[in-house]
Parts: sequence; structure tokens; C-alpha cells
Amino acid sequence: MTVLGVLRSHGYDLAVFVHVVGAMTLVGGLVTSAGAGLLGWRDPDGRLRRFAALTLFAVALPGWIVMRIGAEWAYSKSPWDDLPDKLQPTWLGIGYFLADIGGILLLIALVLAGIGVRKARSGGGAGLLKASTVVAAVLIAAYVVAVWAMGGKPS
Amino acid sequence: MSFYAWMLALHLLAAFAVAAALVLYSVLVVTGRRASAGLEQARLLFRVAPIATPLIAGGSVLVLIFGVILALKSDRFEIWNGWIIAGIVLWAILGAVGQRTGAYYEGVQKLAEGDGAASEQEVMARLRAPTGAILHLLTLTVFVLLILDMIFKPGE
Repeated sequence: MTVLGVLRSHGYDLAVFVHVVGAMTLVGGLVTSAGAGLLGWRDPDGRLRRFAALTLFAVALPGWIVMRIGAEWAYSKSPWDDLPDKLQPTWLGIGYFLADIGGILLLIALVLAGIGVRKARSGGGAGLLKASTVVAAVLIAAYVVAVWAMGGKPS
Repeated sequence: MSFYAWMLALHLLAAFAVAAALVLYSVLVVTGRRASAGLEQARLLFRVAPIATPLIAGGSVLVLIFGVILALKSDRFEIWNGWIIAGIVLWAILGAVGQRTGAYYEGVQKLAEGDGAASEQEVMARLRAPTGAILHLLTLTVFVLLILDMIFKPGE
């Protein structure tokens, strides 16, 4: 079977589908969260900032988990899994690097948002929620690069 | 990177813009349907909704343009292949259902921007009514079918 044949097998397609749906949910959650956070940046009551934080938990985090599981599944079904590290394509490395660094940044944003929401109950936490918004915005930029690399596959 | 690779990357980025808008709308639809939501919260949600407008408007046009260029430039596919035709048909359905959904929520937004208790009751009733949610679910279903078609390429 040719490499192309392996790539086009339905097991691989299903794994890619899971990966793409997770990635789309993740990016959508980040856009919603960062957008709401920026809109509510100067709001005195902070409801949009809390909405932004909750969106990170309820949408972006599950999206990241599904995206990462799909990535590993697709990789295990692809011919790249059998190749040594030095022969792995660059785009795959970019994708893995940004997914994992992005995961750490998402975790930081979630911790900031979690403490921020807790403090918001007693009238504080605005700075932490704003910091969480900034991290979400940085993550959007990182994942735009990841999507470009996955689509364009620079060698 | 070749011209074809750039078109593919831009096609995918445009698809992600549409997906991001649909996820944003999903969050708003679910939040708006919560029993605890009130008029103030509805107004808050309608402040967030415009973030998605350029994403869905620009993304849906660009995804088709880059997709057609890819089909024309490809050595493997032709624009009359079944899965590509299906993709274009699904894209048109997505646009039609999406516009209907948008019109429904625009109507609710106009009500929400009015004053008075009667309008608050109606706004909340319309946000919780199944019409908007069903239309949005239909939009999401068509989008997922489109993604499945693009990945599995049935008949290829």
C-alpha cells in the first residue's frame, strides 16, 4: 500500500475528524473568551470577564483535550509514527510544539481565571481575569500559526 | 511553500474562522436558554455576538474561494467530483440556514434593546423557545457534515 493509501484510510480520516473538531472547539472557545474579556475590559461589574473565564473552562478546555487525543490518534494511524524523529516533517513538529505549549498556556489562563472568578465574588479578581484574557488572546495567535502549519504543511 | 499549500492553509484558516463564529453562537444560545438568564444577561450576550460577524461573513466567502482555487489547481481532484459538489451544496445550505438563524436572533436583539417588562418577558420567551436553538443546531449539523465531507472525501 502506498503512503497516500495509508493516509487516506478511513481510520486515519476519523482520527483527523476528531482532531479538527477538537481544534475548532478550542479556537472557538478562545475567540469567545478573549472577545468577551476584551469587551468587558473596563466594565465595572465584571460580568463579561466572568463569562469569559467560564467559557475557557466549559469550551476551550474540553476542545483542547479532544484536539490532543485526536492528534495522538491520527499520529498513531499515520506513517510518520514509524519514522525516526529526524525524518519527521517540520509541520508536525510545529503542530506538536504549539499544541503542548498552548496546553501549558491554557492551564495558566484557567488557573488565573479560576482564582479571578473566586475573588470576583468579594469584588476583586479583575486583574487576574484580565490576565487570563490576555493569555487567551496570545493562544489564538499561536493556534492560527498551528492551523496554518497543519494546512500548508511547510516541509 | 507552494501556491497550492498556501491556498490549502488559507482554506483551513477560513474554515476555522467560520467554526469559531459557530462556537461563539453556540455559547450564546446555551447561555441565553438558561433559566436564570434575565434581560440584562441577554443584553450582555448581544454585546458579544458581533465578534462573530466578521468571522462568519469573511470566513464563509473565503473558504469557498480558496476551496474552488484548490479544486481547479489540484492534480488529484476535479471541481465536478461528487464530494466537491456536495461540499458546495452544503456550503449553500449552511449560508441559507445560518441567515435564517441570524434573522431570528436579530429580532430578539431588537426586542431586548427596547424597554419595559412586557418586552423582557418576550425576549426571555424567545431566547428559551426551541425555534432559535433548532435553527442553530441545524446550522451546526450542516457544518459538521461539511467537515466530514472535506475529510473523508466520499467517492474519491
